[in-house]
Amino acid sequence: MLSALDKYRHAFLVGLQSNLIYRWNFAVRGFFSLFHLAVVFILWGAAFAGTRSIGGFDLRQTLTYFITLLVLQFFVSAFNEDYQISEEIRNGLINQFLLKPINYFLYRFSIFVAARLVSGALVILPLLVALPFVHDVLTFPFEGWRIALGLPAIFMSAMIQFTIAYCFGMLTFWFLEIQGFVILSMAIEAVLGGQIFPLDLMSADIFAGSMLLPYPYQMYFPAAILTGRFGFEEAIWCLGIQACWVALLVMISRALWARGLRRHTAVGG
Amino acid sequence: MLHYGRIWLASVRYSIVRTMMFRGDFIVWSLVELFWMSVNLLLISVIYRHTDSVAGWNKYEMMLLVGTSMLIQRFLMGFFWSSIFEMGRNVRSGNFDFFLAQPGNIMFMATTRKLDPDGLANSIIAIGIVVYAANQLGLQPGVLDVTLYALMVFCGLVIHYSILVMSISLVFWLTSAHGVEGTYFTLTEFSRLPREAFKGLVSQVMFVWLLPVVVVSNAPARTLLDRFEFSWKWTLGPFLFAAAWFALAVFVFQRGLRRYTSASS
Repeated sequence: MLSALDKYRHAFLVGLQSNLIYRWNFAVRGFFSLFHLAVVFILWGAAFAGTRSIGGFDLRQTLTYFITLLVLQFFVSAFNEDYQISEEIRNGLINQFLLKPINYFLYRFSIFVAARLVSGALVILPLLVALPFVHDVLTFPFEGWRIALGLPAIFMSAMIQFTIAYCFGMLTFWFLEIQGFVILSMAIEAVLGGQIFPLDLMSADIFAGSMLLPYPYQMYFPAAILTGRFGFEEAIWCLGIQACWVALLVMISRALWARGLRRHTAVGG
Repeated sequence: MLHYGRIWLASVRYSIVRTMMFRGDFIVWSLVELFWMSVNLLLISVIYRHTDSVAGWNKYEMMLLVGTSMLIQRFLMGFFWSSIFEMGRNVRSGNFDFFLAQPGNIMFMATTRKLDPDGLANSIIAIGIVVYAANQLGLQPGVLDVTLYALMVFCGLVIHYSILVMSISLVFWLTSAHGVEGTYFTLTEFSRLPREAFKGLVSQVMFVWLLPVVVVSNAPARTLLDRFEFSWKWTLGPFLFAAAWFALAVFVFQRGLRRYTSASS
């Protein structure tokens, strides 16, 4: 069993090395994410100028939510995995995986984990720079269950991020160009993932409906647990929904791989 | 000048023919852009569900500001985005050689090669948002106001173009521009904020004057909102910024070009 997993350890190590080559890209991206944080501070600071509470949360709680989201983004987001998978299919590079005793999904997941470790580590640098300016606004509820539920929620968020990106990559078996679908999905994720505004600020019906979709579990849900926007019972219930989405998306990705391979033609030698 | 005009028209013809060939792609990308625009309007809608004013701007004033920002960005997407985005990849792959051999200024050839009709199609929606917001506010701008608005939108386009060229030019130093193009989108987020929201000297100097993306959208929006005051800052400012940022973009691009070593097989 362990020897079977060893190949994925090597894929992980190769992924680590290849992502470290582009460390400056991640660092630049991390640095510019501070500008996004500045936009958030300015906009919500202005919105809170005339009121003490929006949606039952004060300015500090709202800003803490956005800071948490920013950090999570570098640890769990799929940045360009869909594009990489698409390129491998389009250029015929996946042919080599068809002849080897390796699971393509696990191979890509190993590289994804390596990439997120690198981007997560590199976002710590700009965060340290920003810490003197933001530490006054940080306010986390210190309840043990939030960590206990938050950690599996973060792991499953990463799984959902990866499987959605993987499924989009698989679409290359049917469509030559997937970039349009990816960007459209990014826009939906941005809204329903809670990146534009905390989802609980929407009307109650729309919020309840959106929590049945996979998108809030990509980022909003773990951030909401950690920053006190969810109570214990709600969190348990949503953790169950999140686990269902992980299982369903893994099944969909396996089905797309199997169906896609039937359409695939390996050319050349 | 006429020579470049003819080259540009040839690029327009090529882009339109290409769009007609990939009609499905055109529809998908138009929807993508439309959705992103809707996201911005949704944010306004959600915030104003909970408050009446953001930095003294009411909902429709804010909509007019965001519509103006979108208009400038749609023009940028329509006229330049594909070419500049591909420039980053071409430098990495070595395909940038192709532009070095073309009969014209390299920056012009590399940044104007492709037009995206989907971006331009959505600029009509952005104009619609501005007109709708102006209508809701009961504004009746004169010909002079509209002309000044159009000129300032043009200045905004030049400034956005310059910032984008500089962002992508980092590829000459970094080898891969992947993720770097996102820096441009981060900076343009400021253009959707009202000038009055920037409190404190540091944020004003840094985000309003050093990175003039705030002026880019606020100046034209103010001309329509009757908030326009005839001061050199708001009248000449956008024109001076546009000239200065364009000069800086040319400088950075040329410096980067010196580092280009191609990537032969």
